[in-house]
Amino acid sequence: MTKPVNIREIALGVMMEITEEEAYSHVVLRETLGKYQFLEKRDRAFISRVVEGTLEHMIQLDYIIEQFSNVPVYNMKPLIRNLLRLSVYQLKYMDSVPDSAVCNEAVKLAQKKGFYNLKGFVNGVLRNTARRLSQVRYPDAKQEPLHYLSVKYSFPIWMLNKWVSQFGYEVTEKICRDSHMGRGTVVRCNLSRASREEIIQSLKMQGITVKQHPYLDYALEISNYNYIGAVAAFRKGWIQVQDISSMLVAEIAAPNWGDYCIDVCAAPGGKSLHIADKLMGSGYVEARDISGRRVQMMQETIERTEAINIRAMRMDATVMDEESRGKADIVLADVPCSGLGVLRKKQDIKYKMSEKQQQDIIRLQRQILAVVQEYVRPGGTLIYSTCTIGADENQCNIKWFLENYPFRLESIDPYICDDLKSRTTAGGYIQLLPGIHHSDGFFIARLRRG
Amino acid sequence: MALRQIRIMGDEKLTKVCRPVQMMTPRTKLLIRDMLDTMYDANGVGLAAPQVGILRRIVVIDIGDGPLVLINPEILETSGEQTGQEGCLSLPGQAGMVTRPNYVKVKALNEDMEEFVTEGEELLARAICHECDHLEGIMYVEKVEGDLFEVSDEPEEEGEESGQSEESGQSEESEQSEQGEA
Repeated sequence: MTKPVNIREIALGVMMEITEEEAYSHVVLRETLGKYQFLEKRDRAFISRVVEGTLEHMIQLDYIIEQFSNVPVYNMKPLIRNLLRLSVYQLKYMDSVPDSAVCNEAVKLAQKKGFYNLKGFVNGVLRNTARRLSQVRYPDAKQEPLHYLSVKYSFPIWMLNKWVSQFGYEVTEKICRDSHMGRGTVVRCNLSRASREEIIQSLKMQGITVKQHPYLDYALEISNYNYIGAVAAFRKGWIQVQDISSMLVAEIAAPNWGDYCIDVCAAPGGKSLHIADKLMGSGYVEARDISGRRVQMMQETIERTEAINIRAMRMDATVMDEESRGKADIVLADVPCSGLGVLRKKQDIKYKMSEKQQQDIIRLQRQILAVVQEYVRPGGTLIYSTCTIGADENQCNIKWFLENYPFRLESIDPYICDDLKSRTTAGGYIQLLPGIHHSDGFFIARLRRG
Repeated sequence: MALRQIRIMGDEKLTKVCRPVQMMTPRTKLLIRDMLDTMYDANGVGLAAPQVGILRRIVVIDIGDGPLVLINPEILETSGEQTGQEGCLSLPGQAGMVTRPNYVKVKALNEDMEEFVTEGEELLARAICHECDHLEGIMYVEKVEGDLFEVSDEPEEEGEESGQSEESGQSEESEQSEQGEA
């Protein structure tokens, strides 16, 4: 008989790909779970939980490991450091796994992977950790505030530094804390397809818990369901999974009957569809994206929702499309960004981003803005948005844009609820912060062409 | 160490009922050694004599707790149920879902032809049932629920064989080892 698949070995392989080969966690996990479909639900759940949890707390886990090892984590063999991270995560965060099992399995796995001579090291670090975990001394909040945040919430110091200087220490801590919180799924009611009441009734009939979102009356928070594909209202195209922050984009874009809109970085298509829905079948939305695969996925969503005034097409936002020059009533530029507003969903982003990479992203954002602003007709609207927080990719880009192009900021107060109004919203933009607002981290600015 | 060739499904030896072992001979002793070597080499957890072409009632098992040799095994008692994936060295790269008892009590002879009784749960119970089936000419595919599926035989990464820079690697590793235990 052959050895059964070792789920810890699979988890280790996934961690190696994510941390050593720069692959994205959600992609690797999806592919791996797809490959091991035959595994029991319990085993599949273990793999997701242990990988996601380890990534979520990685800086903290490394800190703990270094309390019990004289070799710094960055000096260890990649396989050994990831094995220790996964194991210490189970020791600290998974009560369902006995400590002895964690240690034994890790030692066996180290040997199996060819590190026979490191068995003792792995065993020593893990048994010490298991025994003395509760005595670990963490950085003091008063003496080393940044280090304290970094280890407690697993955020890189350079990022915390930036946030503390922009938002203050308290808000930064709230942002960090929120990235570790679970939340219900937010869905948008497709009001052109069914009324809010019909949708709520349909959801409740299936035993789903429905909660009204405070920011928009057609946004609902749903929980207590297994799989979105089995929700009737979803299958009928009545609801669309979309975070509230992304819904605010279409609200702030506020299309008028018959408007022509171009969404230049549209995939997965939530905002485009939302605008099409608000146009109630009139006008036309062009949902463009650079990736053929993602355009294909948008096409499928469009078909499910049966929207007729929207088309998905493959187009690179950095390349000038002469045909579109001066034509659009509304241009949506939801540009690629560092994604620091959506860490709850993609934990590994915070380790992969560096200041250097952020500079590259900012360059791309400006390149896209320089091209797509040409599509806005005189008097038309440009909506700039990102799913990140921090001035560099948001306020600074807007400032640069206004200095170089004939646009002005326009108050967004008419389009948002009172809870969200502030000095900046009257000035034309909003920075949503996770932990402060009931949403992902997000930035939206409304600009009008002069 | 001598490796024997593992017969692949389709080989008629795998469909035959095996004969009991009457007495221990040097040849049989050697066969058992070779079966263990072959099993470990193939990264298996169990191997039955017909899988190396010998129609005798001998199985070897090691689920990670050391070798277990069963000669003329007889299952005395089973209870419970487990459903899980199972694969066989005679059908490489494939696996399927099989329901087995969760507990098995088995009587057998050891290498000195002395009778003993042992029991196993979960993986060990599964392995005992799987290997004893081989002695009756039964492959697990006859018991699979649903379809067989592909499982990649993942090559072992990094290990000693892969020729990592031995010298620098070695010293660093032993250093880590000492410090870890300190």
